[in-house]
Amino acid sequence: MSDNLARVRPSFTPSPSAAPTERRLEIVAPAAAHRKRPRITYALTATAGVAAIVIAQLLLSVGISQGAYEISTLRGEQVELGRTSESVSQDLVRLSSPQSLASNAESLGMVSNSNPVYLRLSDGAVLGAPSSALGSQGGAASLVPNSLLTDSAVLTQIDDASLGTADGGAATVAVTPTPAVPIKSGLPSPATR
Amino acid sequence: MPRKTGPRAPGMNRRSNSSRRRVAVTVLVLFAVVAVFVVKLVDIQVVRADALTADSVGNRSVGQTVYAARGDILDANGVLLAGSVMRYDVTASPKNAKSFYRTVEGEKTSISVGQAAAELGAVTGQTGPDIEAMLDAALADNPDSDFVYLTRAVDVDALRAINDLDIPWIYPRTNPSRVYPNGAVAGNLVGFVSSEGKAQAGLELGEDSCLASVDGTETYEKGADGVRIPGSSVTTTPAVDGGDVVTTIDSDLNWFVQQALAEQAQATGAAWGTVVVQEAKTGKLVAVADYPSVDPNNVSGTEDPENRGSRAFTASFEPGSTFKSLTAASVLDSGKATVNSGVVAPYRYLPANGANINDSHAHGDDKLTMTGVLIDSSNTGMSKFGELLSNKERYDYMKKFGVGAATETGFPAEDSGILRDPENWDSQTQYATMFGQGLTTTALQVSSIYQTIANGGVRMPVQLIEGCRQADGTLTDQPSATGSQVISASAAGDTSDVLEMVYQNSWVNKIWEIPGYRVAAKTGTAQMPDGNGGYSDGYLVSVSGFAPADDPEYVVSVSLADPVNMNTSAAPAPIFQKVMSQVLKKYRAVPSGAPAPDLPATW
Repeated sequence: MSDNLARVRPSFTPSPSAAPTERRLEIVAPAAAHRKRPRITYALTATAGVAAIVIAQLLLSVGISQGAYEISTLRGEQVELGRTSESVSQDLVRLSSPQSLASNAESLGMVSNSNPVYLRLSDGAVLGAPSSALGSQGGAASLVPNSLLTDSAVLTQIDDASLGTADGGAATVAVTPTPAVPIKSGLPSPATR
Repeated sequence: MPRKTGPRAPGMNRRSNSSRRRVAVTVLVLFAVVAVFVVKLVDIQVVRADALTADSVGNRSVGQTVYAARGDILDANGVLLAGSVMRYDVTASPKNAKSFYRTVEGEKTSISVGQAAAELGAVTGQTGPDIEAMLDAALADNPDSDFVYLTRAVDVDALRAINDLDIPWIYPRTNPSRVYPNGAVAGNLVGFVSSEGKAQAGLELGEDSCLASVDGTETYEKGADGVRIPGSSVTTTPAVDGGDVVTTIDSDLNWFVQQALAEQAQATGAAWGTVVVQEAKTGKLVAVADYPSVDPNNVSGTEDPENRGSRAFTASFEPGSTFKSLTAASVLDSGKATVNSGVVAPYRYLPANGANINDSHAHGDDKLTMTGVLIDSSNTGMSKFGELLSNKERYDYMKKFGVGAATETGFPAEDSGILRDPENWDSQTQYATMFGQGLTTTALQVSSIYQTIANGGVRMPVQLIEGCRQADGTLTDQPSATGSQVISASAAGDTSDVLEMVYQNSWVNKIWEIPGYRVAAKTGTAQMPDGNGGYSDGYLVSVSGFAPADDPEYVVSVSLADPVNMNTSAAPAPIFQKVMSQVLKKYRAVPSGAPAPDLPATW
């Protein structure tokens, strides 16, 4: 930037020849001393660094391969557990099928009454014509086949031996079937006190 | 830094020369060796780099299929009708089938092929000699045979038992399969797939585009001991699961209906039968039962391939008198007659065009109203009402009721029935079409006719599928739910009143009575074609109707083909009664208690 302001010039200008002479005296000896000391430190640091890297690498790969075996084992376990879960849920849906429910209900002495009658709560009116159940379905063999059920007995006949088929690792849950309700005077009723 | 070279001693020149030669030779040799290495290096690192890398990865990496699950078929409540499961095929290497050692409790015992086969057979349900015979047969074909199927699609429990046997020449393989937990419940609708997983019939086939899945592949690298190297898994193709097909069917109701149908079909000796239960207001099918039914888990257990489909969709027949409701509704809608209009219905009616119509039983000239015509199911009476409309008019009504066209369900191989153009109707057909002969309908189409009458004259598209449920829960491919007004609401109401009178006064009224409810229904007894252009001795007997008649909720349509022990509509009536009662109970259709109409049958 150019301006036309008046300035006071510094009264003293250092001599250009003074500084270089002083520096030239200092160069050789201290620089050499400085260079010697770091050589050992650097070497040690570098060696230590390399050693640390090697050790870390070793530990890491040991860790990773350890993990790999663990993952492999767990993966195998997961597959097995997945199979168990699949097999058990298949059993469940199979047993929930209408054929299975119907034959179980019949074995408990239940009959279906398809004659619909309603009691209206607001005025106590009976809608429909009540009549007793004929149990027309009772005793009739299932006419709707389900080949998945061929080997499964009615639930009340299943003993706990055929149930606890849980996976070897898991705790076996002992299932005790509810004993059949004793039949007294025609209708099954639990003995209450 | 330039090296100082001192003055050379004399006499050293010769030695220096030979040394230079040696240096030169050495340098040359070195160059040659380095050149060889460089060439090799370039060859390996640049020229063959890709191939070699691929080879090395190939040695370490393992590719495997990631199985995607084919979609489920669900009923309206989410009950699983068809699902995917993993099954296992047991294969063996016949050439390696030799005796082996097994360590049991620290003791080594030799197991012969026969023993191993017997142990395996005990698990798979085969006999030891069977398995040995399979191995021998494979070896006889090819002494180096390395592969034979011993059994297919065993479940997890069997697989574990087989793995425990530790037979070295047995190789189980995965085989994604289908399972149908409810067996034959809606089995004819659901259909089945082949052992290779190809869709074959029913919804499995019809909705294959929704259900189909795409298997993916994945590669990973393994160490020398077969353990997967972490972080090396690469999914090369992602697996895409199929969508779920959500149907409108209620599996519990379908079971009940199938059971009721099978009971009566067996008692009456029917060749086959169908029951369709449809929601009157929406056109949704809540149950479709077929007899005989097929268990998709065991398709070969149903011998006749005809029985493996759903006849409710694929079999058309002449509907007979249940069709009279359509003719009556058309006439009422046109305003050419009312429910109380009277005709004289003789036993035999000979119209001017040369047709010859008679009733099923001899009677004198009855003075019947339209109500009376339907109660008596008089063909001659119906003819006299039907001729009030031109053939073209009746044809147009039939088309609007959905006759002659496959329904909207999109079920594979659905039959459209036969409805010829009115110009091609001969004089007898012109009258026969008034009472359901000379044209064919499927059970579904009959149900749809009654749905239209029950729903104030609005025909809803017949719906079997709610849609295809994608992985994110959205329902795609939802069918249209827009109805079409076929007849006026008042004509539909009048037809419904007439049908209610039929229900009360028909000769089967004691059989199909549902106490407390108002029901509208009509029977039908139609001659069945013999396949040679004539009629056979057999009859197709049917009942169609809806309830509650004052606010119709459900349509039930029952058909039984050729019930040899009882070839009248008394055969299907008990099925109608049972099914309708169950439907009304299940869906809590409370009777209104309003009085039923009382229309005169004679004048």
